[in-house]
Amino acid sequence: MSLRSVISIADLTNDEIEEIFDLAGSAEKLRGDRVGHGRIMATLFYEPSTRTRLSFESAMHRLGGSVISCSDMKSSSAAKGESVADTAKVVSSYADVLVVRHYWDGAVQAMAEYADIPVINAGDGSHEHPTQTLCDLYTLKKEKGRLKGLTVVICGDLKNGRTIHSLVYGLARFGANVVTLAANGMELPQYVLERLEREYGYTLAPVASGDLSAVVTETDALYLTPKQPHQLALFTQVDTAVQSQLSTMVSGLRYDAFYMTRKQKERMKDGSRAESYPTIGESFLKEQRFKDTVVMHPLPRVDELSPAVDKDKRGIYFKQAAYGVPVRMALLKFICEQRSSKAAGVEKPGSIYESPEGVGPRCPNANCITVMEPGSTQKRFQILAGGLGGALILRCIYCDHRFKVQLVGHVKSKHYCAYDSSLEQTAKDWLKKNELAIFGSIKEAEERGYEPYKSGPQRTLMDESEIQAALAELGDQVVRDCRDANRLLILGIRTKGAYLAQRLAAQLAAHQVRPEIGEIEIYGSGDEIRRVSPADPDAAPLNLKDREILLVDDVIYTGKTVKTALSLIFRAGRPQSVRLAVLVDRGHREVPVKPNYVGKHIPSSERERVRVKLRETEHDEKDKVVIYSIVSPPESRTGRVA
Amino acid sequence: MAPERQILFERDELAKTISRMAHEIVEKSTNPRDLVLMGIRSRGVHLARRIARKIHEVENIAPPVGIIDITPYRDDRIHPELSTEKGLDGQVSVDEKTVILIDDVIFRGRTIRAAMDAVAQLGQPQRILVAVLVDRGARELPIRADIVGKNVQIGDGERVNVMLAESDGIDQVSLSHWQPRNV
Repeated sequence: MSLRSVISIADLTNDEIEEIFDLAGSAEKLRGDRVGHGRIMATLFYEPSTRTRLSFESAMHRLGGSVISCSDMKSSSAAKGESVADTAKVVSSYADVLVVRHYWDGAVQAMAEYADIPVINAGDGSHEHPTQTLCDLYTLKKEKGRLKGLTVVICGDLKNGRTIHSLVYGLARFGANVVTLAANGMELPQYVLERLEREYGYTLAPVASGDLSAVVTETDALYLTPKQPHQLALFTQVDTAVQSQLSTMVSGLRYDAFYMTRKQKERMKDGSRAESYPTIGESFLKEQRFKDTVVMHPLPRVDELSPAVDKDKRGIYFKQAAYGVPVRMALLKFICEQRSSKAAGVEKPGSIYESPEGVGPRCPNANCITVMEPGSTQKRFQILAGGLGGALILRCIYCDHRFKVQLVGHVKSKHYCAYDSSLEQTAKDWLKKNELAIFGSIKEAEERGYEPYKSGPQRTLMDESEIQAALAELGDQVVRDCRDANRLLILGIRTKGAYLAQRLAAQLAAHQVRPEIGEIEIYGSGDEIRRVSPADPDAAPLNLKDREILLVDDVIYTGKTVKTALSLIFRAGRPQSVRLAVLVDRGHREVPVKPNYVGKHIPSSERERVRVKLRETEHDEKDKVVIYSIVSPPESRTGRVA
Repeated sequence: MAPERQILFERDELAKTISRMAHEIVEKSTNPRDLVLMGIRSRGVHLARRIARKIHEVENIAPPVGIIDITPYRDDRIHPELSTEKGLDGQVSVDEKTVILIDDVIFRGRTIRAAMDAVAQLGQPQRILVAVLVDRGARELPIRADIVGKNVQIGDGERVNVMLAESDGIDQVSLSHWQPRNV
């Protein structure tokens, strides 16, 4: 990206942040210079906002520039289903800088990739909110004169708060200590902690809850349950010798600031968790040890922060809100005038993985743009080596979530195996040559035509005649249970389930039942990944409403494939019923799915692979069901395994 | 005509059943510390809380209790609301956890299917199990209940009424037989 977008607080170097703070300090001068003159800022807020939006717009006006915006995204073309990529491209030609808030994690990053103008993230899902962090750091620095060595207690909802995530990275960068005081169940997400440890060398230490119990409420009741294990202190620059004494260090800490977050009442429908939410009330003001502790809050507040604090000089949240305008003026000037990136991201090392197979692992974050709108993204991951136990970690470029690589494959030899640490070098070599494929499941790998690297001896569990007999029996049962043959629809899960669906249909024809046949694509690649379609490409589209669906697959194992198929079916229409027929049930369910018809139950261990071989897919082979153990890693490091 | 009522559980038996379900949940979880109980609104939530208390008594572990409101996921709604809230209590982490979906009655299986979609919004659990007080059979989807308080086989014209002290002031599970309406 040659344009200067600010998606994450990591897109600015410490020096640049200091530069922005200096500019903010002379906001009056910026106003006089009219540096925004002739420039247009577009604001797109897919989520409601008061402060962020108004302060951005005010900042641009004060710089002498103009503002265009869409007052309500629900009334815009986004409501008609326009992709964020298209919106970004279009708005690029209307403005010089784009400010976006979106409800999906990583959506602003995706827009920045398609926009021809700088893009500023005004909050994306629960990912980041860098401009709020600039205001927060600026406020702290103004009040305390420095950032290095401060100890800041962040309180409340640390899980969903994008403000918090950007803030902890910012504090970490400037060498402040962070103590977390999370409401029950709202702790900092693991990926944030990992990043603090990995990139900023932070040491995490548990805090005895007694120490923080001074954060009390109006009723003086302790809003922390005793022995609450989750609270953490994050120390910067602590060497290993002192680590053992960390808990004593915590009790000796002087707290410079409490950073409160909003109690999100809409997420606590029955008030179940309300009582564990850290609150600041009048008793806080009376505590001698907090006499120099300032209280910050990104606002709006609910009742976690008593209005009694407003009158006290320690309550600096209205100042914090007021700084929003000068800081954003400074940022806008900085971005408008700097056309190229000096920072190139403070944290962009490591290798980028793009799936050569079109499909690849899915980001585990269900609210990530790569999951919600894959068409606007390129499914890129950063590969981080050296996770726990030598695990290979993928980081989603868009939403920052991390997850472990389970299966790797070699693109040329079309072999796959489970990843383990001994494969680290091999995987790196493949990646360098663009020959690395990463899969989320064995089924996904096999659907792409990959074979296991090495397998133990095979045993045949069902031969051709047994398969034939099982299918005949399944067909009889289906006919017996079918209420209305005219509404029957057979859906096979691609690819083997789809072949079996055809064969089952042939069985039914013997009973004078000739149902419509369709397919479900779950592991395919290309634009239309995951769809339900008629088996005959020339046939009319399927109508699932009120149908009696018979779902067919070859093997049922964890049940996750069936679960995904059910989701797809219900997205496409509301059937009257869905029944499930499988040739083999091998046990080990991980979701509450149960087949109605089973050809054969085959007990198996988790290291084994049960494979149905059909003459439609295996050339010159007869139908059979085999079982073998998967042995990995590959014998040869070059990936040339027979 | 007033419906006839047949009592399935009264208070004591209900308590015993919930206790047995709690034990089964602990047994079926690989590690009780990885349990997350997800109650389906609204009686499933009360049951989830009671089961959580029982697990706490027995194992001295307080599993987190989440709430699922499946209304936005119901397949019978024509225009599902586009919202970021999605009817979820988003505070519970389910990644790598054993999630127990808890409801009062399982019937067609549609609620549980919708609840699985809702859980997918929260993250990737290691395993999902279903615990229900009453399984009345007649499933329309290939969904099973793993932990069942009581199985009853009843016809379409009958109802299972679950009343819990938290919402109805009394603990009682009964069947009512609706008479066909005279036209």
